[in-house]
Amino acid sequence: MLRAVIAGFVAILAGFRTTFGYLFVKKPTIAYPSIKKQHAPRFHGLHELRRYADGKERCIGCELCQIACPANAIVVVGAENTPADRRSPGERYAARYEIDELRCIFCGLCEEACPTDAIVLTPRFEMSDYRRGSFVYAKDRLLVPPQGGVGSAPDERPNGIPADLGAVAQQKSTVDIATGYDATWYGRALKTERRGLAG
Amino acid sequence: MTTQPSVKTVTVTVDGVSLSVPEGTLLVEAAKQIQEDIPVYCYHTKLGPAGLCRICLVEIEKMPKLQIACNTVVTDGMVVHTASDKTMEGRRAVLEFLLLNHPLDCPICDKGGECDLQDFSMAYGQGASRKVEAKVAKPKAVDLGPTIVLDEERCIVCQRCVRFDDIITQERSLVVKDRGHRDIIATSTEEPYVSDFSGNVTELCPVGALTSKTYRFKSRPWDLNRTKTTCTQCSVGCQLYVDERYGDVLRTMSVAEDETSDGWLCDRGRYNIGFYNDPQRIASPLLRRGDEWEQIGWDDAVALWARQIREARDTTGPESIGVIGGGRLLNEEAFLLQHLFRSLGVENLDWRAGRQTVATPVFSGTYEELEAAQTILVFGVPPSQTAPVMDLRIRKAVVQRGARLVTVGPHSSGSSVTETHVRRVADIPSDAFDAERIAVVFDGIDATPMRDLHERFAELKRAGKSLIGFIPGEQPNARGAEAMGMLPRDGGRGTREVFSAAKDGGIRVLSLFGVNPALRFADGALATAALERTPFIVLSELFLTDTARFASLVLPAHGPFERDGHVLDMTGRVQRLFAAHAAPGGALSDGEMLVALADALDIEIPSPSALTARARAPEKRAMPRGEIRAAAPGGEAALRVIIRSDIFAGGGTVYHDERLEELRPRPIATLHPRTAQALGVAAGDLVDVIAGDRALRGLIVRVADAASEGTIRVVDGLPGAPANVLFDGEEVQVTKLEPAAPLAAAGAVAG
Ligand code: SF4
Ligand code: SF4
Ligand code: SF4
Ligand code: SF4
Ligand code: FES
Repeated sequence: MLRAVIAGFVAILAGFRTTFGYLFVKKPTIAYPSIKKQHAPRFHGLHELRRYADGKERCIGCELCQIACPANAIVVVGAENTPADRRSPGERYAARYEIDELRCIFCGLCEEACPTDAIVLTPRFEMSDYRRGSFVYAKDRLLVPPQGGVGSAPDERPNGIPADLGAVAQQKSTVDIATGYDATWYGRALKTERRGLAG
Repeated sequence: MTTQPSVKTVTVTVDGVSLSVPEGTLLVEAAKQIQEDIPVYCYHTKLGPAGLCRICLVEIEKMPKLQIACNTVVTDGMVVHTASDKTMEGRRAVLEFLLLNHPLDCPICDKGGECDLQDFSMAYGQGASRKVEAKVAKPKAVDLGPTIVLDEERCIVCQRCVRFDDIITQERSLVVKDRGHRDIIATSTEEPYVSDFSGNVTELCPVGALTSKTYRFKSRPWDLNRTKTTCTQCSVGCQLYVDERYGDVLRTMSVAEDETSDGWLCDRGRYNIGFYNDPQRIASPLLRRGDEWEQIGWDDAVALWARQIREARDTTGPESIGVIGGGRLLNEEAFLLQHLFRSLGVENLDWRAGRQTVATPVFSGTYEELEAAQTILVFGVPPSQTAPVMDLRIRKAVVQRGARLVTVGPHSSGSSVTETHVRRVADIPSDAFDAERIAVVFDGIDATPMRDLHERFAELKRAGKSLIGFIPGEQPNARGAEAMGMLPRDGGRGTREVFSAAKDGGIRVLSLFGVNPALRFADGALATAALERTPFIVLSELFLTDTARFASLVLPAHGPFERDGHVLDMTGRVQRLFAAHAAPGGALSDGEMLVALADALDIEIPSPSALTARARAPEKRAMPRGEIRAAAPGGEAALRVIIRSDIFAGGGTVYHDERLEELRPRPIATLHPRTAQALGVAAGDLVDVIAGDRALRGLIVRVADAASEGTIRVVDGLPGAPANVLFDGEEVQVTKLEPAAPLAAAGAVAG
């Protein structure tokens, strides 16, 4: 009986070792924004909507991210591609795509649901602004520029679903996260902009 | 209804549960009793078994192989396993087979989220494909007709669409072409697939092969707000689901278990939904200032209206006030309307604003009874264009139950089923009346045949036969308006007399509710003259119609899916409407307008609950008989005009629905080849149809064998070509316009 109590107590102490250990660790203070914390490799930050290398949008407007989102942050309205105006492989594309980043809880379920690896959470995390409305990111800010696409677009058959489906994780880890948000085109642009401003 | 001979029941055991069902029941139906849903593709309750897809395989004891539940009749003592390992293995194999050439891109497919192939693959499929070879490529996005787009690759050849077109509409234009894995769905003639019921195939299609042009890729089922309401595009009163998203009505779907519609919708009801957010829709009360409209507030509008009414009553008396409307209102609103004006002493109340003169038949029947009739007599305008879904009942009665269809009048129904067409009442074959169950379908316009047959009908009734009547009229709630009292009583004047009085300056204030007499009233010249002479016309409408040209004040009203209340369908059944779409902020429902007007005039109105109770329990009272039309000037006439309805005609919602562009009728004059020859005109020519000093101008000639000789058929209710300048059945002359524009010729070919 007594032995069991002691054993239990020791176990608790062992469990708290990590916690107590932090009492004696030097507190980190990061001099943001001049120094930026390195995020974990799969940090969930601001979204981007990707393209294929040929410039076609990966998103096919399927609305799966919209239904997957637990925060109801996404709005997708599909439309039909026409031969004259082909936005994505297959017949369907997103005419409207919006994410309310204030509603978003950065869970990444949209990314997980996406059948074409179109919506991806980037490590970019700085998006403060003064107006609520400006946190609703539409295609104009989510979609990467035409030259920023990755991967080769699928043929019209099999009908718009990319062959390299599921390669998101790999794609993200190839991204250079050491410099914070340098991973995306936005990151780079923003950083250049900042440098310009600072300098 | 007749009593069925008692049927023997058999006992069958499904998954350990013993069921007793009538002999002859299909296994798939029997299993529904215990909510044991056996998967099906080709089987459909209303289309019957076809045995094509094999997904419904089940294990039946003492049978060596799996059997298809959809085409197996239960027998006594049958023991069925719908979830055994063997069954599951069978379904898995069938699904693998169905998916051999089926594209695996559900996220793109329009059916994704409500697709049976998706659902059953999830439930019974094997998860991954073993096929490494390329799939068979077939045409995608095939334009099948004005309403439907077909993706041949997604088709699993269940033939539901083909069988619908065969069994239900009897039109038989869809077929399966080629065989094996190359088979595709097409029309037999290579012509576009044109049908007034085409939208139903998109619902029947278990996969994403058949899609509606109006809805294609617009949304996913899980993002839609669904409301069940009643269609008020015609007097049938079909129940339907309205699917809305972000303030846009995206689609409507039929209600499978609905007794009114039998589970089908016509294309007018299904597709006329694109006008709600049309930029031309009136958004605030408009006051006429010369040729301009000035936007004013509701308070000012109602005050002006009330002042005009009060002044007219106090100076020229209540006889100088007229009210027309009700056929497009709810029962509540129609009751309120007549209550309000009757309180002022106004008796010039009428719902009639078109050709229809009566809405309540003497002997009502249900649609089920219509289906069971042995003889169906159709008088006047065929219901295929005025009450399409009811016409499907008639087709069903004729084809599946062997009823006899007799059409009487200048119009042959042009129905896809066999009919006997006679021109005069006297020519009706006398054995048509020998049947036990007789249904009379009457367009409600010219009551002459009803008067002629009055004795006959009374005799049949005395002989104890079942005789029921239907009046598929022009306005959806005409019967409700009659039941709510929107008819002149105690010396009040009906629409025609109001117009005659107005023409002589006898009407000072005319309030119109959702009616368009300038385009629709049978005597267009009279209506126009009357509207011109009336000093103050108030019109409650959605759009600036032809009648709005004459109005002083136009009030923006609520559209069909924006209303909450009750209507009566043509059989007298009370149907419930629920608002499925938010009306524009500046609009008020007709009821709200009337409440405001009553307030301004200090009139006591019934409480909302009393009003609802009233709307739900229409009073049964004797209705006036329809108008007897003066017979067309007798004797020989070289050419008579027939004015015919079209489901897509009209100057309001259809005219302002851009998605219906292709379906709207063109101003066409249809002639028999011999008549055309005699007149010296050919298909594609432009003609004027002239009667005295009135003329219907710029019609495109079409020549059709189905037209009757010596007649010229024109379409009613087209803005820009108002057929109501002519009288139905009158003698006309035709003059050809030179030269026929090539554009018009192209239109005639397409039309
Ligand atoms: S990360 Fe999560 S909460 Fe944010 S948009 Fe995606 S699914 Fe919604
Ligand atoms: S981002 Fe992906 S999941 Fe969302 S609509 Fe586009 S393709 Fe579908
Ligand atoms: S188009 Fe649809 S309904 Fe018609 S056969 Fe193919 S799968 Fe069946
Ligand atoms: S038949 Fe009439 S009520 Fe039924 S869907 Fe068509 S228009 Fe609507
Ligand atoms: S449902 Fe039984 S064979 Fe298709």
